[in-house]
Amino acid sequence: MYPIASYTSNSTFNVTFSSIPQNFTHLQLRIFCRVNNGSSTGNIYFNFNTDNGTNYASHELYGNGSSAYSTSSTSTAYPILAYQVAGTGATNNIYSTCIVDILDYTNTNKYKTIRQLTGNDQNGSGVVTLGSGLWQNTSAINGITLLPDGSAFAANSVVSLYGITTA
Amino acid sequence: MSVFLQPLQTVTVGSGGASSISFSSIPQTYTDLFVEASFRDSNGSSFVNTSISFDSSSNYSNTTLSGNGSGTGSGRTSGSTALQPWFANGSGSTSSTFTNATLYIPNYTSSNYKSIISDMVAENNSSTAYQELAAGLYSSTSAISTINFYAASGYVQYSKFSLYGVLRQGI
Repeated sequence: MYPIASYTSNSTFNVTFSSIPQNFTHLQLRIFCRVNNGSSTGNIYFNFNTDNGTNYASHELYGNGSSAYSTSSTSTAYPILAYQVAGTGATNNIYSTCIVDILDYTNTNKYKTIRQLTGNDQNGSGVVTLGSGLWQNTSAINGITLLPDGSAFAANSVVSLYGITTA
Repeated sequence: MSVFLQPLQTVTVGSGGASSISFSSIPQTYTDLFVEASFRDSNGSSFVNTSISFDSSSNYSNTTLSGNGSGTGSGRTSGSTALQPWFANGSGSTSSTFTNATLYIPNYTSSNYKSIISDMVAENNSSTAYQELAAGLYSSTSAISTINFYAASGYVQYSKFSLYGVLRQGI
């Protein structure tokens, strides 16, 4: 597992990974964040290669401390990368954690499927999610744009991209 | 070279497809094993089970938590001939869409029973798609040296299974 690039700031910021190296087999995003939306929670959406058409789907299995739920979105331009992470309306210093795996990202015979595990506990409320996203395009992924609710990540969030090799 | 996650073996399915995939002669020198897989089954259903085993015994059980885009459920199998923690995208699901799954096997050389955890997503541009977490148990004291993956009908071309060794600090 090799670090490719990372974003953080002491003020709000946005994230676009471009010119992603094509010499790994898989990609992984590791995210420590809150989104700049003024609410206690918010979502992070994504697109690949600046494709903002309705070429995506996403599904989430999540629990909120009392029940489990499942939800879906199809033929959408706003697929969910991370579901219900902390927002800037949450208690100060509460951030969420998300790990996203993108397998075989250079394979031009596959649509691209992401898998995300997201945790957001706020000491009395919270959501844990296993989710997926689909980009209906066989192009190799060379760019990833993250689209957080509130149009920015809050200060001191950290978004890092890693490459994973295979034998 | 990273020693945190050491690539050991990769199988990519060729144009003829494959009914099963095996990792054999797995080195016994790591602490844990980790599998990352991207696969699709030629079965005509939208989603079908993939079976995972280390031998031909009936020493497998698993407990699952899953969602299908609208509902959730938890299931269990026991005394089985294989773990079934993964759904494969079948030919009834969105074309060119491959399941994205992992399998983590800690202490695979120990003389205790083996506890296994997995997560899996099988996407689809439809309201129905699967996300599943699974806990598995291999009730055997034997070290794991082989991992077999069995398709319902056959893994399609470009399916890819990668095996990694994980080393803990101090080894």
